[in-house]
Amino acid sequence: MSWRILPESIYESRMAGCALGGALSVACFIPGAVAVVHAPEGCVHQAFSMLHAMINDSDVWIVPEILVSSFGDREVIFGGEDCLSAALDRAAVESPDLIIVVTSCIPETIGDDCGAVCARHLYADRILYVPASGFLGGSAKDGENAVLTALATRSPVAKSVFGTVALIGEKNLEFEADLNYAEVERLLAKLGLRVTVRFCRNGNYATLMQLGSSQCFVLRDERVAAAGKVFGERFGRPVIPEFPRGLSGCFLFLCDVGKACNVPEEKITAAMESETAYQNAMLAKFAGLSGRSVFLGAEPFSGTCAVAREAITRLSMEERSDGFPIRLPFYLPIGTAGVEKMLSLWRGATNHG
Amino acid sequence: MADSRCMNPVWPCAMTGAVAALAGFPDLCVIIHGSSGCYYYPRSFLKVPLFSTYLLESEIVFGTIDRLREVVTEVASTGKPIAVVNTCVPALIGEDLKTAFSDVSAIFVDAPGFCGNAEEGTKRAIAAVAPAVSDTRIGINIDGINLLDLFWCGNLRETERLLGLLGLSVAVRFCCDTYKNLRSGAAPFTVSANSSYPSGVGTNLGSLLFLDIPKTVEGLVGVFPVTNCDAVLAEWKRAEEHMYYSCDKYLRKYNPPIVVVAAQESYAVFAKMMMERYFGSDVPIVFARDHGADGVPYSANSVEINAAIAAAEPDLIIGSTFEAATYRRAAFFGITPPDRSRISITARPLAGIEGGAVLIEGALNALMNRQKGN
Repeated sequence: MSWRILPESIYESRMAGCALGGALSVACFIPGAVAVVHAPEGCVHQAFSMLHAMINDSDVWIVPEILVSSFGDREVIFGGEDCLSAALDRAAVESPDLIIVVTSCIPETIGDDCGAVCARHLYADRILYVPASGFLGGSAKDGENAVLTALATRSPVAKSVFGTVALIGEKNLEFEADLNYAEVERLLAKLGLRVTVRFCRNGNYATLMQLGSSQCFVLRDERVAAAGKVFGERFGRPVIPEFPRGLSGCFLFLCDVGKACNVPEEKITAAMESETAYQNAMLAKFAGLSGRSVFLGAEPFSGTCAVAREAITRLSMEERSDGFPIRLPFYLPIGTAGVEKMLSLWRGATNHG
Repeated sequence: MADSRCMNPVWPCAMTGAVAALAGFPDLCVIIHGSSGCYYYPRSFLKVPLFSTYLLESEIVFGTIDRLREVVTEVASTGKPIAVVNTCVPALIGEDLKTAFSDVSAIFVDAPGFCGNAEEGTKRAIAAVAPAVSDTRIGINIDGINLLDLFWCGNLRETERLLGLLGLSVAVRFCCDTYKNLRSGAAPFTVSANSSYPSGVGTNLGSLLFLDIPKTVEGLVGVFPVTNCDAVLAEWKRAEEHMYYSCDKYLRKYNPPIVVVAAQESYAVFAKMMMERYFGSDVPIVFARDHGADGVPYSANSVEINAAIAAAEPDLIIGSTFEAATYRRAAFFGITPPDRSRISITARPLAGIEGGAVLIEGALNALMNRQKGN
C-alpha cells in the first residue's frame, strides 16, 4: 500500500505518541486514585478504549475511571479553567486518596492556568498536577516519566528495609506485563528478596508511598530512565536499569540486584547456579530445535536479536540467510520465561510453518 | 449549570468520525494533520492506510504549514486525490492551512476533536466531499455506511442485496465507494443502513433496518414504479415468522428477558423495538451515544450508563463491552464498538432482513448460553 512506499521522513519523536496517553497508562493503575483529564472527551475516549482493550486481553474485567473536563467549543473561546474546576469538584465527591490531573494539548495552547486551579481547590493537598500537555509535552514516554516522577516526590524518604525491592515503570499496556513481573519475582526469590512496591501497577496510594523504604529500585527498561535518575537521587538507593534480557540477562540481573541489596556473595553464587540448572532444564524441552537453521529477519524491538542469537547458540542451532524464517516476538523477551515463550513460537513455526 | 463532566467517555471525537468517513473511499489519501497521539486511534481502529503530519511541538510554535506542505506534496506523488483532516491544536492557532496545498487538489475538513463527536465529524467530512445530486444519475444512494460501525461491511452487502432484489442499482455508497464514483454525482434518492450516519445527500426514502423495511419498500415502490417488491416482502415475512418461532420457543422455558441497550441512537431504538416485539421484553434502560431521541436519553458517560445498568439488573445487555465489562452477570450481544467479547472476521449485518435475524439470533444465543451457565 502507498503508506509503505512513501519515503516519509518520520523521526522517532514524531511517532512516539503523546504525553497524555503515556501519563494515563500510569495514572489509571492506582486503585483509590482518580485521573482527571483536562481535555475534550475524544482524547479520553482514545485512552479509555486502549485500557479497555488491554484489560480485556488480560482477562481482568476491571475498568479504571477517568474523569474528563469535557473541553468543548465554549471553553476554546472563553477558557477552560472553570470546567477543570468543576471536574475537580466532581472528583472530590468520591473522596479519593489522590486526584491526578493530567492535561491535553488544548489547555496548553489556549493558556489555561491549570496549576493555579489545582492549587486553589479545596482538595489541593490530594491533587497531583501533571502538566502532560498532550503532544506539546512530548511523547508517551515523557508522560509516563512525568507521572512517576511527580508521584515519587510525594513519597517520603525513609530508612530502607532489608530484602525489599521496588519495580519502577512496568509497562501497564504490555500484554506480557504480569508474566514479566512473575519472572522478575522468581529471580528475586532466589536471592531472598521480595517486591514490596510496583510503582505503579495496581498498588494503592498508601502502598506507593512506601517507595522510599525499598532497598533498591528496578526499572522496567530505559524508557523510564529519566524517572529512575530522579528516584536514585531522591532516595539515595541503587537503581537497576532494566528487567533481565533473555538468558544471560538473568545472571547479570541476579548479580546486580544481589550486590545492590547487600545479599551475601555465596547466596548470589548459589542463585546463579540454581538459575543455570533451571535454564538447562527449560532448554532441554526444545532439544528438537538443535541443528535447525533459522533466519531472524528484521528486529522488531531493540535487543531482541541479541536475545534470540544467544538462544540459538545455547541450543546449537544455526543462523543463516537461507534458514527457516522465524518471527521474533514483538517485545524483548524477559528472562528465561520470555525465552521459553519465544522458543515455543519457533518450534511451532519450524514444525508446521 | 448542569454538570457536563464525563467519566470514561464511550464515543470517539469528530476527527475520528471525519477520518472514518473519508477512509471509506480507498482511492482517496487521508492525511491527519496532528500528532501521532491523534493518529494512532483511528489508524488502529479502522485498520486502513492513513497518513499523518505527526506534528511536533516546535511546529506549533513556528507554524505547521511547512510540515503540512511537505506531507501533502509527498502524498500527492501517488497521483491520488487527498483529504486533509485537521485536529485540535492546528485548528486553534489560526493558520490558513489551505495555503499548504494551493498547488495540489485537496479537500480540507476542519473537524477538531473539541467540535463534537464522531457523527459531527462524519457530517463535516461528507459535506466537504458530497457531490451534486444529478437527476440523470441512475440508481439509488446508500448511506449510513461508516467504518466505525461494527456492521458496516455486512450492512453494505445486505443493503445492496435487497436493492438488487428490488431491481434497483446502487449509485453512490456513503461512505464506502470509490472516490471516482463519488465524483460522478449522486442519485436523487437515498436509503439508509444506519440513520445515525446520514449523508444528507438526496431525498431519504427511509431506513433498511428490519422493522422499517416494509415502509421503506413502500416508499421505494412509490418513487420507482417498476420495482418488484414481492420477493423482498416475502423474505421479510419468512424471517419474521422464524424469529417469532425461535423467541416463542425460548419463552416457553424462560421469562421475557429484561434488556438494557446502549448504542448509537438508530441502533439503540432498533434493538429496543426488536426486543419488545419478539421477546416481549421490558427494556427499562436505553442510552444513545450520539444524540438523544424520544424516550432515549443521550449519554456518553460510561459510569452513568453502567450505574443505570446495574440498577436495572438486566438479563441481557445490548451495547458494547464497555457496558458488559462492568455487569458480568448479564448476557451480552455487541452492536456498538468496542465489542471485545468475540473475534469478528465475517461481515455480519445489522441492517436488512439478515440484520434483523443477526440481532435476534445473537440475543437468543447469548441468553441461552447464560441460562446454561456458559
